[in-house]
Amino acid sequence: MITCEGVRAALPHRYPMLLVDRVVEMGNEGIRAVKAVTLNEPWYARLGPQATRGDLAYPDFLLIESWTQTAGILAKRLAGEAADGQVMLFGSMSGIEFHRQVFPGDTVEQHARLERAVNDTMIFEGDSRVGGEPVLTIGRITMAFRPGERLNPAHAGPAAG
Amino acid sequence: MTSPVLAAPRPVREPARDEGSGGWSAGFSVAIDESEPVFAGHYPDFPIFPGVCVMECVRRAAEAAKPPESGELRLAAVESSRFLAAVRPGDELAIELSWSPRGEGWRCSARVATGRGQAASVRLRYRREAEA
Amino acid sequence: MSIDAVTRLDREELRELLAETIDADVAEVRDGADFVETLGVDSLMALEVVVVLERKYGVKFTETEMRSVRTLDSAYDLVRQKLQERS
Repeated sequence: MITCEGVRAALPHRYPMLLVDRVVEMGNEGIRAVKAVTLNEPWYARLGPQATRGDLAYPDFLLIESWTQTAGILAKRLAGEAADGQVMLFGSMSGIEFHRQVFPGDTVEQHARLERAVNDTMIFEGDSRVGGEPVLTIGRITMAFRPGERLNPAHAGPAAG
Repeated sequence: MTSPVLAAPRPVREPARDEGSGGWSAGFSVAIDESEPVFAGHYPDFPIFPGVCVMECVRRAAEAAKPPESGELRLAAVESSRFLAAVRPGDELAIELSWSPRGEGWRCSARVATGRGQAASVRLRYRREAEA
Repeated sequence: MSIDAVTRLDREELRELLAETIDADVAEVRDGADFVETLGVDSLMALEVVVVLERKYGVKFTETEMRSVRTLDSAYDLVRQKLQERS
């Protein structure tokens, strides 16, 4: 279990892109976390006085981001100090299937499992659920730790993938 | 559909039938301004445009250039996405996409580049709405 | 059509699977084409190829075996050997 302050310490992401509220369970191979969706999500600020149900569907690509951040917390723990000062990069993903939409009032449960890890590269898979119902399936997401400065705009040199 | 991205894709190459593959292709440009709300938290004083937001730009471009005969479509899956280089505030994304029929639905394959070169490749799969 | 009688491993199916995984055209994935030098596969993609092969053929590679997967030929030989070991 990692509390909200623990999540904030584990991830560099901040408002409006910190999309994990709490880690419910974490082992060596898997992690389960939750993200509550409310009527106050920042993205709804742009809606006019009236909003249709379609307008209030939570952005599905942000469900992928929330899932990836969950996997990222496990990746960081598995990498240990090797990850210190490094940025975790999201190299690729495949087999992402959308099953149903998420709405304010839903709590999304993110399930991620480590499939393979070789030196600094890791592959995760899993799914997102609401009330036990599958919302999203993640076939495979590949992540790698890269030195932060290679990415930092202040530094010249190629942008890392 | 509510989205985390403000930028709207601008057509730079009108959608047209591609003689060879019979597919339907188009070109778009998307200006990623530093005022995009995601940059504030991704990451504080180290702004990198999130991969899922690059995919969102591709999706918007794709849906603005759907093949005329495709009818109502709904996104069913991200078949694959590959992120090759970081996208930063002020970048202009050049998106080249092409639609092709795929079983009952449609597939949209896109390449995304910035001024510095290839940034991502994205493959989306759409289902006919009626079937959903 | 070249399907290995013992393991039912179809070389062309493997070529298509590899091409799809590394985002290349099937024609580019020639038997001896090196994934890294010729097809520009990076460490992330290399691990993906391994995971896709393991899932598709129900086999498990050791780290050294993983590093030996550099071309379609080497992938085919390794998967066939793994399938034979299992059958």
